[in-house]
Amino acid sequence: MSELAHVLLKSLQGKFDEVSVLVEERSSLMVKLWNTEPSIVQSWLQTSIRLRLAKSGRLWILSYESKDPIYIVKNAEEILKLASRVEESELHAPLPEPGRCSPLTGAFDPSVESAMNDPSRLVEEMTSAALSQGAERVAGTLTLTKTSTTLVNTRGFECNEAKTSVEAYARAFRGEFSGHWAHGSTRLDIVAIREVGRRAGYCATITSKKADISPGEYNVVISPLVAGNLFNYLAFMASALRVLMGFSVFAKYKLGERIGSEVVSLHDRPRDTTLPGARGFDDEGVETFDKPIIEKGLIRSILHNNATALKSQLKSTGNAGWVYPRPWNLEISEGELREEEIPSVIRNGVIITNNWYTRLQNYYEGYFSTVSRDAALLVRNGEIEGHVGKVRIATSFPRLLSSIVGASRSRHDVSWWEVRVPTRAPFLLVENTPLTKPEA
Amino acid sequence: MEARFQDDYGYEVVLRNNKLTSIDTFRRRGVGIRVLVDGSLGFAATNSLSIEDLYKALESAYTRAKATSRLRKSPIEFSEERPGRVKYRVAEKRPLQDFKVEDAVNTLSEIYRAVEGEIREARLVSVVKTLTLHMQEKLIVTSDGGYVESYTPRLFIGVNSTLLYQDRSLQRSIEFGASGGAELIDEWSPGVKAREELRNLERVLVKGVAPPSEKVDFVLGSEVVGLVVHESSGHPMEADRILGREAAQAGESYVKPDMIGRFRVGNEHATVVEDPTIPGSYGFYLYDDECVRARPRYLYREGLLYEPLHNRHTARLFGVSSNGAARTMNYASEPIIRMSNTYLTPGDYEFEELIEDIDFGLFVKSYMEWNIDDARWNQRYVGLESYIIRKGELAEPVLNPALEFTTSWFYSNIVAKDRNLEFYPGTCGKGEPSQGVPVWFGGPNVRLGKLRVGVLR
Repeated sequence: MSELAHVLLKSLQGKFDEVSVLVEERSSLMVKLWNTEPSIVQSWLQTSIRLRLAKSGRLWILSYESKDPIYIVKNAEEILKLASRVEESELHAPLPEPGRCSPLTGAFDPSVESAMNDPSRLVEEMTSAALSQGAERVAGTLTLTKTSTTLVNTRGFECNEAKTSVEAYARAFRGEFSGHWAHGSTRLDIVAIREVGRRAGYCATITSKKADISPGEYNVVISPLVAGNLFNYLAFMASALRVLMGFSVFAKYKLGERIGSEVVSLHDRPRDTTLPGARGFDDEGVETFDKPIIEKGLIRSILHNNATALKSQLKSTGNAGWVYPRPWNLEISEGELREEEIPSVIRNGVIITNNWYTRLQNYYEGYFSTVSRDAALLVRNGEIEGHVGKVRIATSFPRLLSSIVGASRSRHDVSWWEVRVPTRAPFLLVENTPLTKPEA
Repeated sequence: MEARFQDDYGYEVVLRNNKLTSIDTFRRRGVGIRVLVDGSLGFAATNSLSIEDLYKALESAYTRAKATSRLRKSPIEFSEERPGRVKYRVAEKRPLQDFKVEDAVNTLSEIYRAVEGEIREARLVSVVKTLTLHMQEKLIVTSDGGYVESYTPRLFIGVNSTLLYQDRSLQRSIEFGASGGAELIDEWSPGVKAREELRNLERVLVKGVAPPSEKVDFVLGSEVVGLVVHESSGHPMEADRILGREAAQAGESYVKPDMIGRFRVGNEHATVVEDPTIPGSYGFYLYDDECVRARPRYLYREGLLYEPLHNRHTARLFGVSSNGAARTMNYASEPIIRMSNTYLTPGDYEFEELIEDIDFGLFVKSYMEWNIDDARWNQRYVGLESYIIRKGELAEPVLNPALEFTTSWFYSNIVAKDRNLEFYPGTCGKGEPSQGVPVWFGGPNVRLGKLRVGVLR
């Protein structure tokens, strides 16, 4: 248990109506790869401290990356002078009854910590697997992290849990073509890291032909990386505060209403200790629990902290965020398709293996576009015909979700630059999806 | 070796309509150490400032760089530079450190008062306003004699609005950002600008027509032009991207090393400048985070790929001197090549002259959705405040025109530029872990050739 958290709580309780102290101690290592060799090895030894201070309905959030308790207490005390001069926050609600402290077990893998001092072998395994597929060069990162999180508050909650995480992603190149894969876990699994390289290499080398398509509607298969990215945006919009602000596609729906096809289920899985976002308690001391956000196409939960829940006359869903409720880990339901059968099932269409730069025109309506990167493959008569280059999925979330007609049986645990909330995702088959690209 | 003490502090206040949502005070203070060992680059950061922990960080940077050096085929080397030894501060008439939280709440409340009641036919569902004060102090020392101490205060205001009318809706983010003091708020008049813009957007929402289906001449407003040059001249001219260092994250570039000074991407109007030294700018600095003096650079000059952005590593590989583009987000970030303030140079027309001989065309003034592929070639912008141009004048508003073009199409199809150079703030993301740094992007209003416009589906 962090001594610092207790020192801060003791120094500030009595001065404010409520005090919460969240301390995260983090040690991590990242090897960044460039042209099949490390461009830099980065290490961090950090303590981050967050305080939630409430006084007479006024609410302050203080974030520090500094280990100096005297400075932090002094700074917090200055806030007191402001209390009467600032209006009450619309998001102030009393801290909830403290939940049970039941820290997750199984999210800490000691082998992650021991690999930090020399990750060379892991890096070599990943790059060798990509090169063995015929790739010419590999970029990517391997990140190993150890985190200890402590929460104490004046309602009497105190809990600490430790976890590790491994994030590996690789982008392999052969000529003008590339492939990408990613993996995220709390555990070190050399087979999974090798698989990142192998799949990246496979996608880069699956064909050396080019194919052309015109803008239009296509049956599209999106990979777990693409599904992970798009469902991250969806889960971000499932935060109750985003809904309140109108910056959410969920703002125009009620719980229980349909937003997608029967095939679509999305869960928040904080209790899954294999995924790196696992957390046993939220920032308000509520015990976390797994929950559906969308179940068989119907909206089942908006993610709440205590303040947003009270506004909606609901209970917290254990997703605090003192200001913004947020998801922990995401899981998209599997289906019946076998990965190797995807080209024959889609018959005619496009397989998009990776994407980036998803942006929305309108969060309320859910209009967005996202650009393919790496292998985007034209399938004709069940055979891969060639790379179509960079194309854009340009549609709306309700339309996309309603057009999902199938999912693969296998799922992959992905986490990378474009998938920040770790996501277990299958390949998804989406019918009649608008694809665009410039005419000029 | 280089050591950088960096202290980023300030606060952010958010109001939803007239209600205070949150006050978030932040301080990120620590030391980042970078070492070059046996041709391998190591970086370590800590926010524990005890001598013991600083040594521990140094040891991590050193031992881990050394441990992975055997994986390098060729050693990393830095260009020889004459590093700066200076101290500088951004001047403030009204220091941000004296601007209190209640002043911020009042400023945001005034913006809401300026816009509430002004929207008559549509419904103003929410106006979420953010004010961020960000003070940045740095002290950088390098083993080859660099010593740069700086203080940069920055102010940002964002206004995010949602308008509803019947079954239509529209959302807009209006942003103000610069370095300097609280006097910036008077210069910006954020309430007045938000009111004017929301009134115009209400017209677009209520009366907007579908975009024309045929190819039309179009004029792009300076806000969109600024974003286009940031995305399609700034990013592809970052030398680390050109060499593939960001390949697995923000991507590579259509530009290859042998194209510099040879390849023509646009016509004589296509001149793009990158300049960190613009006083008061959001991306302002005088020395970069490798202690190299900053200066303006031409990225594209009259259509020619002219000078990439360099740090000391890429400068060495290109056989040139660094042009001072290494920046960091905070103490925990390695210095990487970043833009600062990027703009298309203005022309000498008035706006009215740009459109006076267009019989039927489109003017896109602002945007919400945009993206570009990871080689920085195929790009899309969806207009927000947009108008049909009819017989040389702005006519009825247009809803959500989607523009897609390539980099060469844009720079080769500039017909004319007006003289109104405007800048817009942004937070540019790059690197792993992702680093967001403040930038300006800008340009004049630009008349382009004919293009087919898409619709949202």
